[in-house]
Amino acid sequence: MTRPVPDEELMTLVRGGAGDMLGVLFDRYQIPLFSFYSKLTGNRATSEDLVQEVFVRILKYRRSYRPGTAFRPWIYKIARNAHLDQMRKRRDEAEFRPAIEPLAPHNDSASADQQEALLRRALLELPEEKREVLLLSRFQGLPYTEIAELTGCHVGAVKVRVHRALQELREIFLRLSNGGAAERRIAGANHGL
Amino acid sequence: MDCERIAELLPDYWQGTLKVPDTQFVATHLKTCVACRELASLGESIAQLPEDTPSPALRERFQAMLDVYEAGRDETARFKHRGFQFPTWASWTGIRSGWAFGAAVLLIFVGFMAGRFLNGGETAHSQEQLAAMQSEVTNMRQLVVLSMLQQDSASQRLQGVTWSTQQRQADPKILVALLHTLRYDSSVDVRLAALDALSRYSNQQEVRQGLTDALEAKQSPLVQVELIDLLVQWHDHGAIDSLRKIEQNQDVDPTVRDRARRAIDQLS
Repeated sequence: MTRPVPDEELMTLVRGGAGDMLGVLFDRYQIPLFSFYSKLTGNRATSEDLVQEVFVRILKYRRSYRPGTAFRPWIYKIARNAHLDQMRKRRDEAEFRPAIEPLAPHNDSASADQQEALLRRALLELPEEKREVLLLSRFQGLPYTEIAELTGCHVGAVKVRVHRALQELREIFLRLSNGGAAERRIAGANHGL
Repeated sequence: MDCERIAELLPDYWQGTLKVPDTQFVATHLKTCVACRELASLGESIAQLPEDTPSPALRERFQAMLDVYEAGRDETARFKHRGFQFPTWASWTGIRSGWAFGAAVLLIFVGFMAGRFLNGGETAHSQEQLAAMQSEVTNMRQLVVLSMLQQDSASQRLQGVTWSTQQRQADPKILVALLHTLRYDSSVDVRLAALDALSRYSNQQEVRQGLTDALEAKQSPLVQVELIDLLVQWHDHGAIDSLRKIEQNQDVDPTVRDRARRAIDQLS
């Protein structure tokens, strides 16, 4: 079986002008990036726009990619900046309200779907930077060294942020779960997802 | 005390980078401490959230963007081949006032070519030179339009659409870019302007097909109404199937569905 061409080699080709190679990278990254954005923004249309923007920027700044360096931190840096720029723009326009899905009705024998919806809702109620660090570390599985590079802080500070974000998430999750059934719900979320 | 230590160790525990004694410490503590177990469970549940899948339209949008990029690159390569070094249109998009820059370059270029032509005197090849100059200007205009359609600002993209109408003949690459703008531009005004620019090409099959494709459920009702009117004006019988889909789609604006119904009657 042939080994898939590494992202770094593909990006080096794109850097040299082979735009069609970007299609391979798009197919590899569109779902992870879209998943990340959809959980970060709670909005499908915005998430698709952002994924498109990431690839427009890759073409625009392709020469800033240094051959031989890891591709994933580079693309996530672009992804993060695209999101920050968009947030800034929308803040200026003062019209953006994240489209949050309505909360599923309370139900003690809640299904995995309801637990998932509850967790997504709780994530959306977290402050932006805490949501981002949790998603990057827990959902995207990026090593702390990469997150530190992305966010421009020390590895130790990233770990502290992850922990604080998680504590705040738990508080929101418990509040949304309506207190009494909270413990069962957290356990259910873990088993059910 | 133990809980504080868990707070420090948990992030590394998840990534499997703890030493064996610390891993055992975390595992043992989680068995006995409800609060830390809840926290760890929540962290696990984020990791296990399912992936979300984008719509197939995202791949189409990406491909359309890539096609426009490749079209611009081909043109740039042609200039480079002739020894004329010019930045790629994609790099122009990084310039905030890209359209102004493009327009300025075009004017300088036209002036340069005209000067060269006039100073050359009456040569036997003057007609040939004039034709070559016109061709260069056309290529340059194409580059400028493609560049302007990629700008961040809606007003600059509108300028790009306006410039595109100055082409006497249909340029396939600009038509592709305009059709892409019609479907995906974030501004309804720019989409409407693109539709207006495309309305001059009723004889182009590619444009007719592009317009029918743009008549999808997710399109803005304003654009949909204009699109339907244009298709009726062109007597485009090939659009009936798409119109029928719009007419039957409950998610589509009632005014648009009504307009589609009338269009079907007119085209049938």
